[in-house]
Amino acid sequence: MPELVDKCIGSRIHIVMKSDKEIVGTLLGFDDFVNMVLEDVTEFEITPEGRRITKLDQILLNGNNITMLVPGGEGPEV
Amino acid sequence: MSLRKQTPSDFLKQIIGRPVVVKLNSGVDYRGVLACLDGYMNIALEQTEEYVNGQLKNKYGDAFIRGNNGNSPSLYSCTTSKISPFVYNQGHQQVF
Repeated sequence: MPELVDKCIGSRIHIVMKSDKEIVGTLLGFDDFVNMVLEDVTEFEITPEGRRITKLDQILLNGNNITMLVPGGEGPEV
Repeated sequence: MSLRKQTPSDFLKQIIGRPVVVKLNSGVDYRGVLACLDGYMNIALEQTEEYVNGQLKNKYGDAFIRGNNGNSPSLYSCTTSKISPFVYNQGHQQVF
């Protein structure tokens, strides 16, 4: 039975971490621990100034610190 | 651009030997060449530079970053351009 996250592969996804960080990227894959491989990633650090960091290419995000996944999300309002 | 499904373990095999940055939750970055890592995401880096708040603080020939149970490195990003690949870690790590 395919998981909901499977359906997000190939799409943009917005990930909220336990800390004040959010990640937006294109989902390439994931594993049983919901560690995720993303590309074209933008990292947002949620501060009063709304700092943003943009990274290129691919990222492996450890699932330990993920709080929430938002399929098709664009991240926090800047 | 064709989509290539890639699992985390595939990705990790791909980035060994490439320059990466390991970012700890404390805001400390370690930039070096990824020598190896294991299933607990313990990491060995070569030619490592330590950045605190964006400022270069130390250089190590070799660095071992311990992946604590549960608080292992979070993000690894490799680029094929001149920009250094980026490894991001949200957990608490020890560097030897």
